[in-house]
Amino acid sequence: MSEFKSGFFVGGESCNGRVLVVDDEPDIRKVVRMTLQKAGYDVLEAENGEKAIETINYGENRLLLDVIICDIRMPKVNGIEAIAYFRQNYTRVPLIVLTGFPDTDMATALLRQGVVDYLVKPVEGEKLKASVARAMEQRELAHL
Amino acid sequence: MTIISPTMSHPQAENQGSEPAPASPPMRVAIIGAGRGGMALLDVLHQISRIQIVGITDQNSSAPGLTRAQELHVPVYDRVTDLITHQGLNLVIDVTGDPAMESVLREEVPAGADVVNGQTARLLWVLVQHESTLQTELLHAEKLAGIGSFAAGIAHDMNNPLQLILGLAENLTDEPDLEAVHLQAHDIIDAVKRTTAICRDLTSYSRRSSLRQDCLIGVGGKLDEALKIARYAVALQDIEIRKLYQPDVVVKGNPDELLHVFVNLITNAVQAMEHHGTLTLETHAMADATQIRVSDTGSGIAPELLGRIFEPFFTTKPPGKGTGLGLYNIKNVIHHMNGTIGVDSQIGRGSTFTLTFPSESGADERTTSS
Ligand SMILES: Nc1ncnc2c1ncn2[C@@H]1O[C@H](COP(=O)(O)OP(=O)(O)OP(=O)(O)O)[C@@H](O)[C@H]1O
Ligand SMILES: [Mg+2]
Repeated sequence: MSEFKSGFFVGGESCNGRVLVVDDEPDIRKVVRMTLQKAGYDVLEAENGEKAIETINYGENRLLLDVIICDIRMPKVNGIEAIAYFRQNYTRVPLIVLTGFPDTDMATALLRQGVVDYLVKPVEGEKLKASVARAMEQRELAHL
Repeated sequence: MTIISPTMSHPQAENQGSEPAPASPPMRVAIIGAGRGGMALLDVLHQISRIQIVGITDQNSSAPGLTRAQELHVPVYDRVTDLITHQGLNLVIDVTGDPAMESVLREEVPAGADVVNGQTARLLWVLVQHESTLQTELLHAEKLAGIGSFAAGIAHDMNNPLQLILGLAENLTDEPDLEAVHLQAHDIIDAVKRTTAICRDLTSYSRRSSLRQDCLIGVGGKLDEALKIARYAVALQDIEIRKLYQPDVVVKGNPDELLHVFVNLITNAVQAMEHHGTLTLETHAMADATQIRVSDTGSGIAPELLGRIFEPFFTTKPPGKGTGLGLYNIKNVIHHMNGTIGVDSQIGRGSTFTLTFPSESGADERTTSS
């Protein structure tokens, strides 16, 4: 069950929100996109932290981004570095970690830093959507 | 007689990265009895360069130690008398426990050679067996410790295809477009194949190398295999890899153990580079020796630490990250293969580990001359 309020914030009426997926595996970006698009989200992709930072700074994305889903183990700028950057420069954009490796210490540290969720692949569509919905709520609260 | 003998010096004695030459002539030892005791002695003593096993014998021609002796190129004697009259013999170790043998030895062992038998020989055998169990356990412990840092890599490579499979399967439950269904089913099949490949890569690696059977190993192929496995332990994405392989370079040894050596050297090299730099793998066949070099452009090793890196449990990595057994095990395997390992390093510039083995023709010469 998805509990988000649709189109509360972002521009488009048909759009529940805009999500940036950062993962070095095109396959992962593809399925996450598939799942989230079906749920009415607009999905942007980046293949690593560096690209994500570029994307997030490009044109109107900066204003239109609602949630970031980020992998940890990636070349160039890895997830940890990217997340630190997002936390610093985009304090209001909620972050979800989607990683292949369950690491309790890292999860705790990241959640303490304000990451909304630490999801371990493979994650079911419903769980991913619920997590994004929760992130959207946080996003909305931040704007109130 | 030329013996290409590895130097097996005590770690403390090593103050250089490469190892010093053996000082005194080896102690010549004969082993009587090739059952479990004789074989245990053979296995351990054979690795020590200061000991030369001149031969082994047993009344029972199918004793397991005799087969092992052949594998290790240790001469097998039919008659005890022929063995113990071997010139320049220093020590006879009799593990038969047979009183009749005791009297034979008392009469026939030439002056100047000592005899160890009875309970003393048994004690020696038990000690040696203990040592050899420890060695195997250490080797295995290191593999498992390695698997610890492997876990992240394996999880990454398993869970990504699993995520794809799950996502696609979920989508298939309500995908109306038949063509899309077919395409996605194929994607699922491919993803399953990828996860199977990971298991295949790793099973040979985690297998305890039980058979000590030596064979000729193509070095370039093994290095490539090691690269495939090392990527589970360390991130190779941002490392430039240069392969300078001379074609058809071979060494003799246990393929599983050599793979283990390469994976560890590559892992160390990449860890020293902190994800940026060049990894160079070189093979080189010369007239009398074969060399394999693993170089990195990483942190380098401080001169005062160079002598310690081969010590068991020496590590500069944080607890939980390194066992410090990598290079120790590597050294043991290399010595077992009659090779040597040396290191050249400059702080801030990088390190080069060089393995040198007698070339295969050299090894044949050794076999026939003993
Ligand atoms: N290529 C290298 N560059 C710099 N230092 C190295 C290199 N290889 C080894 N070392 C140093 O030698 C030490 C011992 O290495 P060794 O492989 O025995 O253990 P480790 O790598 O620390 O632990 P493990 O192998 O269990 O991960 C390392 O901790 C490191 O300080
Ligand atoms: Mg190591």
